[in-house]
Formats: sequence, structure tokens, C-alpha cells
Amino acid sequence: MRLEAQNLTKAYHAHEVVNIKNVTFGSGGLEGLIGPNGAGKSTLMGLLTRRIAPTSGDIQLDVGNGVHKLNPLKSHEVARIGLIKTNQRIQGFDSLTIKDSLRLAATPPKDEGFASLFAKERDSDEIEAKVAQLVEAFPFTDRNGYAMSGGEKKLVDILRCLIAEPKLFLMDEPTAGLPDDITRMVMDMVRQKVANGEMRVVVVEHDLPMIWEYCDYVHFLSEGSILFDGTPEEVKSNRVVAEKYMGV
Amino acid sequence: MDYLIFSFSLMLVYIGLAQLLHIQFGMAGIPNFGVVGFWGLGLYGTGVLYLTYDVPLFIAIAMASLLSAAAGYVLALLVLQRSGQAVLAATLALSAIIATLIVSEKDITGGVQGLGTIKFPFGDMDGRNIVFMVFILIVVIALVWLSAKLRDSRMGRQLVAIRDNEELAASLGKNTASTKRWVFAVTCGMMGVLGGMSAPLHQFLVPYQLAPSLTFAVWIALVLGGKGHNLGATVGVFVTFGLFDILIETYAPVPAEQAILLPNFKLFCYGLVLIMIIMFRPRGMLGEDKPRVRARPAQAQGVPRET
Repeated sequence: MRLEAQNLTKAYHAHEVVNIKNVTFGSGGLEGLIGPNGAGKSTLMGLLTRRIAPTSGDIQLDVGNGVHKLNPLKSHEVARIGLIKTNQRIQGFDSLTIKDSLRLAATPPKDEGFASLFAKERDSDEIEAKVAQLVEAFPFTDRNGYAMSGGEKKLVDILRCLIAEPKLFLMDEPTAGLPDDITRMVMDMVRQKVANGEMRVVVVEHDLPMIWEYCDYVHFLSEGSILFDGTPEEVKSNRVVAEKYMGV
Repeated sequence: MDYLIFSFSLMLVYIGLAQLLHIQFGMAGIPNFGVVGFWGLGLYGTGVLYLTYDVPLFIAIAMASLLSAAAGYVLALLVLQRSGQAVLAATLALSAIIATLIVSEKDITGGVQGLGTIKFPFGDMDGRNIVFMVFILIVVIALVWLSAKLRDSRMGRQLVAIRDNEELAASLGKNTASTKRWVFAVTCGMMGVLGGMSAPLHQFLVPYQLAPSLTFAVWIALVLGGKGHNLGATVGVFVTFGLFDILIETYAPVPAEQAILLPNFKLFCYGLVLIMIIMFRPRGMLGEDKPRVRARPAQAQGVPRET
């Protein structure tokens, strides 16, 4: 598993938001990406998933079946290779129930063609079981209904990505909008999946204690470039990071 | 009696068109303001093939609908990934282009002089207009049934997701552009089928039949009935076209001097009802319906046992 970007830049007019010589994600289990506000974290995530087109640079993803160049791909093609990102701001399908939203994400696109009109069952037992397992694991107000609060919507957003079984999972500020206990449940589940070898994870976060607790490796982004990579201990004790970010 | 059968047949065509618009706009969120264009391609395509090239009627309808579907596909390729307003303007423009071409290409279409006569199938059989009406009825029932199947299917769920948040659906691996394009092309093709079936109803084709008023009538009916309900199209057409064009215009005992005002009165009522619906029942008379999916056996509902 290796997501690599080289000479990646993104400029809005003359203003360069991201300028990275080289960065590699996916080799360290559960990785963190930290940095001050406006460092370009979300832009970098958007570039990696092809939601934003880069000004220049190459992105390639190796998921074990050959190297995929991501530059010419569209957002859905990147997702199908196995690179899926949660959303920082709340996103959702208002007309779908929690379970339908998860069923949608769990269904392979090839099963959603015109032939599905005449399918006997809408969803296979396998998908129903996966959905039930995820929904039962969390305290939703109405498991058979719609996501009520912002927190539930955020949680559904994360679960929707998880059930799609990404190979490399990007989490954009999972703690924003989620209650602490739910965040811990999500992160424990994610850590378990990483330990099982099901996927690799990159977490973008402002909540540093969570990063130190969960991450095996941390990238520090500042003013659009990666300033430092290392284990949490190395990053914590790095002077540049301390000055630029932690304000000590 | 023949006039009543004609009106009912036409009403069925309207229901079919509104049902297809329910799929395009209600489910997939594509604002097609060019309904009359795709219908008209079917209508005139059938007419030209039948009269000029002696193609049997049903084969002519099938070929003309392929033309409508192709027009829908190409238009989708060009504009469907743009904003809603762009799609609205482009579809409206396409229907205007088709209407203009039918006037200007008079060597093929007969221009303003018209094109005729397209006979009912089934030879000289008595009551062939009734048989043809039943045929249209079967097609329209099939459309309503198919869109219920679509609502309950995985594809329908994907369409709703695309309508709600296309970018999010794409980020989960759904090829939203392709899904929308194919659904649009197929439903436009079906609009062409309804157009082709309208050819023997009208018997004589003239360009004014392609005026945008058909598009607006179908839209008004769908919005009134409920764009998100599978029977919204049917109910909407009944209360608009059925009530006014058939019941009041034909059967209400209105004195002759007032009868001339009826079409204006009809438009006035449409406007009024539309405003009321938009204010008090924005989802239409029937509201929205949800997918009906068979309840799962208890075992699949629960948490699978850990092994």
C-alpha cells in the first residue's frame, strides 16, 4: 500500500496553497497529518482523491495490483481503486435512511445497473449483515430511520466510507462534530481494521492527543509543504513543529 | 365518442410523459424542459418513416424512439454534468431547435403544410381507435410499473443519492455521470415511444404540435401530483388535463359566449392551483413515496454472531 505524490502543487490564481516535493502515505499503518489552520491539509486530501485538480505534479497509488496513476482518473475511479475519504464538513443523502445510505455504499457499482430493476432482493444477505453489524455497533437515535443530529450525520459519513471497504482510508477531521465517546469508538474500530490488515489509514486532525494516541506515524504540514515526518514521539519533540504549531 | 377516445388516448400519453419526467426529475434530479422535443422526434420520426419510407408503424415507432434516445444521450454527454439551470436551458433549447428544424426541413417533414395521414394499425377493424387506446394504456401501465420497480431497486437508490449529493456519490465510487446519462437517454427514448404512438392519434402532423406548451402541461401535472411519488404523474394529469380539457371543455354546459374564455380560465386555474401547491404542499398532492422493500428475515436483521 503506497500513495505517493511528487512535486505536487496547487495554486489558486497566484496563491500557492500546496507545494510538496514528495510525500508517501500508507506505509505506516495508521498515519496522522497535522498542521496549523490554512496549512493546506484539506486541499492535499482533495488533491489525493482527485476531487481537486492539481496545478502540477503526479499522484500514484499502489494497492498491490500494480501502480495506478491517479492524475487522469475521475473521483469515482479513484474510489473504486480503494482510496476513499470522509468529509470534513457534513455531507449526506437527505432522502436515504441511515441503513440505505450504508447499503448504497456497500453495493458494488456493477450491481446498480438497469438489471437491478428485476432483481428478486434489493440487497444481498451479505450486505444486510454488514450494514446491521455497523449500525448496531453505534448508539443511533433511530437505527431504521434517518440520521438526526449533525453528529449522527458525521458518523454515517464515516461508516459509509468504512463499509465501502477502502484499501487506503483518508479521514478528514473525524473528531469535528462527533462526541468524544463516539470518536473513540470509531477510532478503535479503525485501529482494529488496520491491525487486521484490512486497510491503511491517514487521519487529518487538530485534536493532537488523539493523534498521539492512535497514530503510528505523523506528517507535519505547514504553509503547503511537509516540514517533518516521524513517529509521534519524534514529531512531539521536534522544535520546528513545536514552534509552528504547538506554540511552546 | 371518437373525440372522447382521442382525448383519453392523449391523456394517457400525457401520463406517460409525466411518469418519465418523474424518473428524470423526481428521482434523478434532471430538469428536462425539452419533453416536447423528445416526444416530437418520436412523433415526426414515426410519421416520416411511415409515410415516406413505408416502414410498418410499430417498426417506425421503434426506430424513431431510438432517435429520441440518441438525441437524449448526446445532449446528456454535452450538458448533464453542468448545473441544473444549464440543463434546463439546454433541454428547452433542444426542443426549440427540433421544432424549428421540422418547420424548415420541409422536404422531409412537410413543413408548415403538415404531414399525413398516419392511419391506426389493425387495418379496417371496427373500433381500432379503442384498441389503440388500450395499447397505449398497457404501455403507460408498464411505465408506471417499471418506475415503481426502479424506485425499489438498487439503481433507483443510486439515482436518489445522485440527486441528493452527486459529488458524495462519486466519492463512494459511483459513476454518476454515466448513470445519469443512460437513465436520461432511456427515458428520452421512451418519450419518443409515446411520441410515435401519438402519430396515429393525431393522424396529421403539424409543427405547432411541438410548441413548448406540452412540456409545461406535463411539468404542471407532475408538480401538482407530486414529483417524488410514483402515482404523482397519473393524479396530476387527471386533475389538470382530465378535469379541464376533457371534462369541463367538452361536457360542462357553458354558454357559447363564455366557452371562448375557457382556455384562459383553465390557465388561470392552473396558475392558482400551482401557487397553492407550491405554498402549502411543495411536494405535490401525493407527497413522496419511499422504496418498498421486502422485510428481511429476523436472522439477517440482527448482528451476525462473531466467530
